[in-house]
Amino acid sequence: MSTKEAATTIDVPESSSVPRGKASIIAAAKHGGKAGGYHRGVAIFDFLLRLAALISALAAAATMGTSDETLPFFTQFFQFQASYDDLPTFQFFVIAMGIVGGYLVLSLPFSIVCIVRPQAAAPRFLLLVLDIVALTLNTAASAAAAAIVYLAHNGNNNTNWLAICQQFGDFCQKVSGAVVAGFVAVLMFVVLVILSAVALRRH
Amino acid sequence: MKGDAPVVLGEPKGYTAQKAGVKRGIAILDFILRLVGFIGTLSSAIMMATTNETLPFFTQFIRFRAEYNDLPTFTFFVVANAAVSAYFLLSLPLSIFNILRSSAKNSRIILIIFDTGMLALLTAGSSAGAAIVYLAHRGNTKANWLAICQQFNSFCERISGSLIGSYVGVTVFIVLILLSASALARR
Repeated sequence: MSTKEAATTIDVPESSSVPRGKASIIAAAKHGGKAGGYHRGVAIFDFLLRLAALISALAAAATMGTSDETLPFFTQFFQFQASYDDLPTFQFFVIAMGIVGGYLVLSLPFSIVCIVRPQAAAPRFLLLVLDIVALTLNTAASAAAAAIVYLAHNGNNNTNWLAICQQFGDFCQKVSGAVVAGFVAVLMFVVLVILSAVALRRH
Repeated sequence: MKGDAPVVLGEPKGYTAQKAGVKRGIAILDFILRLVGFIGTLSSAIMMATTNETLPFFTQFIRFRAEYNDLPTFTFFVVANAAVSAYFLLSLPLSIFNILRSSAKNSRIILIIFDTGMLALLTAGSSAGAAIVYLAHRGNTKANWLAICQQFNSFCERISGSLIGSYVGVTVFIVLILLSASALARR
């Protein structure tokens, strides 16, 4: 007897009234292939950018926090000391940059999770949400401090606000440098948010 | 090797239509929020730009007129709000396109990128304005900066009120970016 090899089709009747499961099954060829490598690259870049933003934010907070200056002469009426807590906006800047730096430290483990598991969308989305909030806080603090620094450099004739930078040179320099570092962190946050959105697109 | 091509089991038709419906709902909410943001930032820019107060007395040395462009930060505020409201207007067509085509990915990514940039700009403008408004209200004794709100009441009220519309725009941007990202992340 010769065995015939024939293709057999098996009809499996489906009842359309039962809702099927939500997951679509993708064969194992896709996991760990090209898509995983791309996600992993994006996650590593995200991690490095986070480290850079952390250094920038902490540098901004530290520079502003240590910006005291005392001029070596005094008179009866004028104050010749300048510190960041003379201006509430600078206090806000230091506190906000501290919060942003703390958030970046806490988000590093999530970033590592994204490197280790490139296909997971949930940690990436969580990082996106928190990054947007941190971006807003960072931008608000840096912009408010920048407005005050601009005023300190130039003064304002119309409101009779004197330019205090004329007297406090060191204080002014440190404060301006802190604001610049704050804006560098803002730029990195913008790139981080866009990176997370682009990475989510491929999921 | 045989196993190179991914084998995808199709999803039932009802589920795909439901997902498209959710995406369409997100796109409609996106459109409405953009309108809200447009109105907020435009009204904020107009309110700040039309501030003009002249006190009814004068002396030889001191100025008794207050306008928004006496302070360069407010000029930046008006420019930033005007630019963002123009951006909202220009992004409405792209938002409508997202409503019509639920599976659009590139347009959502473009919107996210520009929304993030505009969020940074708007937050910068409104925060710088808020810092100067705070200074105008309180002054600063250490820097010998007088609180000009003591004299210019209606100017002060107007500049304080115009901050509100600007911050509405900031909130709108945050929600918009989150919505677009969640629409992107759904397969």
